[in-house]
Amino acid sequence: MAVDMKMPILIVDDYKTMLRIVRNLLNKLGFTEIDEATDGTDALAKLKGKKYGLVISDWNMQPMTGYELLQKVRADDGLKSLPFVMVTAESKVENVMAARQAGVNNYIIKPFSAEVLKAKLKTVLGDF
Amino acid sequence: MAAEGKFERIERLTNECIDMCRTMLHGRKHLEALLGPSFRTHKLQRAVNEQKVAVKEMEAAVDRILTAVEGMSEIDFSDTAAAGEKVAAGCGEIMEACCFQDMVGQRMSQVNGTLAEIESTLAKLAEGQAAQPASPPQESLLNGPALPGAAMEQDAVDRLLAGGKGKR
Repeated sequence: MAVDMKMPILIVDDYKTMLRIVRNLLNKLGFTEIDEATDGTDALAKLKGKKYGLVISDWNMQPMTGYELLQKVRADDGLKSLPFVMVTAESKVENVMAARQAGVNNYIIKPFSAEVLKAKLKTVLGDF
Repeated sequence: MAAEGKFERIERLTNECIDMCRTMLHGRKHLEALLGPSFRTHKLQRAVNEQKVAVKEMEAAVDRILTAVEGMSEIDFSDTAAAGEKVAAGCGEIMEACCFQDMVGQRMSQVNGTLAEIESTLAKLAEGQAAQPASPPQESLLNGPALPGAAMEQDAVDRLLAGGKGKR
């Protein structure tokens, strides 16, 4: 099944520069409906108010981290099947294992290239 | 009489020396929070390393951006299709290089945290309060960017996610 390039995507990061970079890279890949949140709490409120097709989230944010957001998404009946990609500088085995156990769909280490982002999104969403 | 005066001076000097030693020991005790290995090795040394790495990351990012801009300034626009591709590639390079702001920002947060701890300890010392000993580093999932050589590569992450074993 073809990927809907108009599906809403939520990107979550506390650095405005990263939000701009990811938004621009997604635009370049052809995705057009992109919303932003600056931490897990902000993201969760947005996820409850609109149907998204994908979340791309940083880990290290306050007050709610990306990992906590992932746990809350997976614990919510209405959100638990939402594709969730972690994009983070946290590169310890413990982090990857915790995210995997919590149900992350993919995990990208910062700094990353446009090619890596594209490849991981294809793994999660299918070819586009 | 003269001998008695000498003894008094010696006694006074001895007492002053003892007072000085007490003051120094007292000060050292107050500084213990900053002198312990958990602070010096884990926090201070890490802060120094984070700052060095941040400077290198900034240099590398600026170099990457300038190289992309120099490349774009030499594009021959007589072939508009090829020129368009080169401009898009240059923009992509600049976009990726800008990730440095996030990495450097996280590293500087670590340095700021350590400086804040030193400032707090010195302020307590100035006020005559005993500083709390530095707490040993806790196992945490919030560590920020790894230092060079300690980071796990994307390939290793992919293997871990796929159920295999990652290698740092």
